[in-house]
Amino acid sequence: MLIFAVLFPMAAGALFPLFRFKEDKSRGLYVMAVVLITSAVALPQIILGTAAREILFQITETLPIAFRLDGVGRIFAGIVAVLWPLSSLYALEYMQHEKNLDAFFSFYTICFGVTLGIACASNLMTLYLFYELMTLITLPLVMHGGSQRSVRAGLKYLYYSIGGAALAFIGLVYVIYYGGTTEFAYGGVSVFTAGQTEHNMRIGYLICFFGFGVKAAVFPLHDWLPDASVAPTPVTALLHAVAVVKSGVFAIIRITWFTFAPALLAGTFAQYIPLALCVFTIVYGCTMALKEQNLKRRLAYSTVSNLSYILFGALLMTSQGLRGGLMHMVYHAVMKITLFLCAGVYLQKGVEYVQDMRGLHRAMPVATAVFALGSLAMTGIPPLLGFGSKWALAEAAVFEGGLLPVAGIVALVISATLTAFYLIIPSVSTYVSRGVKAYAPGELSSGWKALSPLLIISLVMMFFSFWPMLLTDFITYAAAGGL
Amino acid sequence: MNGFLMVVALVLPVLAGLMVGFVPQIGLHRKTRSIFVGAALALQCLIVVLIALGGEKTVVILHLSENLPIALRSDTLGVIFSLIMTAMWTASAFFAFSYMTHEKNEKTYYAFFMMTLGVLMALCFAATLVTMYLFFEAVTLLSLELVLHERTKESIAASIKYLIYSVAGATMGLLGIFFLVPNTTSSYFVLGGSLNVEALTVAPSALLGVLFLTIVGFSTKAGMFPMHGWLPTAHPVAPSPASAVLSGVITKAGVICVIRVIYYSVGVEFLRGTWVQMALLTLATVTVFMGSMMALNESLLKKRLAFSSVSQVSYILCGLFLFDRTALTGALLHVIFHALIKDGLFLFAGAVIFKTGYTYVDQLKGLGRKMPVVFLCFTILSLGLIGIPPTGGFISKWYIAEGAIAGLSHFPVPVFTWLVPAILLISALLTAGYLLPVSITGFFSQPDEEASQAKLNEVCEPCRLMTVPLIILTLAVVFLGVFPNLMIDIFDSLAALLV
Repeated sequence: MLIFAVLFPMAAGALFPLFRFKEDKSRGLYVMAVVLITSAVALPQIILGTAAREILFQITETLPIAFRLDGVGRIFAGIVAVLWPLSSLYALEYMQHEKNLDAFFSFYTICFGVTLGIACASNLMTLYLFYELMTLITLPLVMHGGSQRSVRAGLKYLYYSIGGAALAFIGLVYVIYYGGTTEFAYGGVSVFTAGQTEHNMRIGYLICFFGFGVKAAVFPLHDWLPDASVAPTPVTALLHAVAVVKSGVFAIIRITWFTFAPALLAGTFAQYIPLALCVFTIVYGCTMALKEQNLKRRLAYSTVSNLSYILFGALLMTSQGLRGGLMHMVYHAVMKITLFLCAGVYLQKGVEYVQDMRGLHRAMPVATAVFALGSLAMTGIPPLLGFGSKWALAEAAVFEGGLLPVAGIVALVISATLTAFYLIIPSVSTYVSRGVKAYAPGELSSGWKALSPLLIISLVMMFFSFWPMLLTDFITYAAAGGL
Repeated sequence: MNGFLMVVALVLPVLAGLMVGFVPQIGLHRKTRSIFVGAALALQCLIVVLIALGGEKTVVILHLSENLPIALRSDTLGVIFSLIMTAMWTASAFFAFSYMTHEKNEKTYYAFFMMTLGVLMALCFAATLVTMYLFFEAVTLLSLELVLHERTKESIAASIKYLIYSVAGATMGLLGIFFLVPNTTSSYFVLGGSLNVEALTVAPSALLGVLFLTIVGFSTKAGMFPMHGWLPTAHPVAPSPASAVLSGVITKAGVICVIRVIYYSVGVEFLRGTWVQMALLTLATVTVFMGSMMALNESLLKKRLAFSSVSQVSYILCGLFLFDRTALTGALLHVIFHALIKDGLFLFAGAVIFKTGYTYVDQLKGLGRKMPVVFLCFTILSLGLIGIPPTGGFISKWYIAEGAIAGLSHFPVPVFTWLVPAILLISALLTAGYLLPVSITGFFSQPDEEASQAKLNEVCEPCRLMTVPLIILTLAVVFLGVFPNLMIDIFDSLAALLV
């Protein structure tokens, strides 16, 4: 069934050119049907868990393309399967006046399958394959606007990603050469932890880290992400806050915890260099976000910073740290998609820059309220979502002690402060300041298709703010290697 | 029963605020709204008194994770702070019923005014560090409306400044909370602290640095140098009854957080004699002196009072950082007296603005003869703040000074032993220098121009809604100054447990 969940949206998306939809309505129905069927197939397996390992085909005898869901994979697949239908609904409303919708939705749907493929990959080879596919599939989505700016952003994205994939490939070779298998196992493959090849392996890990670090937007490999925010908002929201960037993070979690062993890496340069970069990126991303006046670019820089929270947790090399990282992976996905969807609603009405938000609450009461809620959550005001994951990360780092973990906590705190500055202050200004133009009440309110995903996601956010145990218990279990 | 009452003390004002904000029948009609808010506050006073009488109980509202409860506890410190805060809130509200008639958008004002009280109560009763942090942030966000109420460019800029400083301070506090929770033996506050000194997960020197930042962070709300910049900007731009509670009450939110961190989580022994104590004492004394000097230099009345708050709240902090039983008693006494006095002083400024529109000290010439009750109250409150017996301020400052001499007698750097008491005394003189001229101008000067003379003739005392709260505050300062023993007994026995 995993194979079905991965291949069905890919096939259904690829068949788009056959249909040549004349009407928006029929296209919408088709997209929603495909996405909902896929989620309906995937979610039971994600929630209940399945031990089955399904092989698609064998490249060589030792290198199968295979799918299997373990705890960490279930978390990522769960995020994707829940958020995809919602943002598809949003995209249908948002994109209705754009051109070339068949191509857009074709790639948008294919990408769903590809992302599930990454989440369900049972070995590094499979993950790498779908990772490459993802780059190619999302490229047209970034370039969809067709303007010179978006083409340039797309090319930049392509160059960065291909470069990263090349590095990751070298890492893959290391794994195949020294390990013999690329199959994921919690705690790493035992072969790596002994023998004279340790040093080589650590270098291999670093290469791999920088390779996957491109999509995870680790400094100095982050530059493509803010530029890519020129893409249509449904793409930025789902792909550049959830699917693509989290694939990078997910791949790094996979190589750190499931391929190369934490036991091999902890306490060596192979831990310190990535960890130091992440700590730096946390502060750097926030600072850049504060500087940026374009709302979507600001949110993109905020993503840069937040992705490194997750990596920071995973790279602490303790299961407690991984737990914090995974929590932030889920929470950030929910919070950031909320903010991006709001930004999209704003953008449609011509509000592109932060200063345009002044006095906006009169014109669109729902979106501004949700944005304010999302801002508070991102900043980490308890009991809202963001606090829980930051707490888990900081707690893990305190238990770790040491210079870099402590520096990481300081970075978290600085980042929380800056987040308040770049998100809460604009939110406040939507309520109090008077903008260039005075809005009439409800002047710019949007349709239900755009607003209902917003409301659903913010309800989910509130629910998990007050009952986090439902999620955190499972994450604790997954971070300890459970299936 | 008390657990339930604490939740009510949080929920009732918040609910009342929401009703004022969203139910047009209550919010839009002035008389109904005043009666509604007054009744809610009366009920709130009753509830807080009942909690005070009911003894110590703990109630858990929510679990963020197994070891992160959001919980309230009616301990002595919480009760002390909640009583004074509710009382000041009520006084300010009754004053506002008359004062706010000349402001716009009264509905929003009362809505946020009430909600802020609710979260302040929860902050007082917070039983864990995370609970405290949560409600600390909530106080900032809700009281923001009070600062930007007038929606002028100036007030919006001031509110942003307030927000930036407060959030930065709160996250500095959060840094410490991150370190303290895994390193304390109890997730709840414990008298005298529960730091697990034998098994720290980080180096003690690193923890000291973090604690320094934490305490400075929470002191932001109390206006301690170098995080004081927002206070003189934000307090004066709010409507006067709001300035009164911002300066008199919300600064104490910072104070209670500092007490909770030092005396209820870390314990004084870990900090005693370290560079952290020295640095904090230095910052607090510098602020005491600096605030007074700035106040002396300022001719805008409300801003002068705000600078005075900077100085006076740092008296309290100074008392806290001495880690001495007498000084702690003095600090708690000063919490009460400063709240009463500064509330009163701002209400005075409000009464003057309401009647004349005058905001500068030198505009007040001759006004005292037209508004004798108001000016008399101001004079008595000023004497209290300077510390002249028999008013209350004398007792609190006496205790702090005595505690400074006792507490610093074994201090590693001997210069502190005489410098700290000396600065406290000098600052008292400066207080006289910036407050008494207001009374003198009011009672003894004549306006220069004929226009202002003509305007002066039309001025009379404000209505009873304004004068009565002011008189009550003044009487309270005198009464508690003459009969302080009950308070001193309670505070001293609490301080004995904490040090």
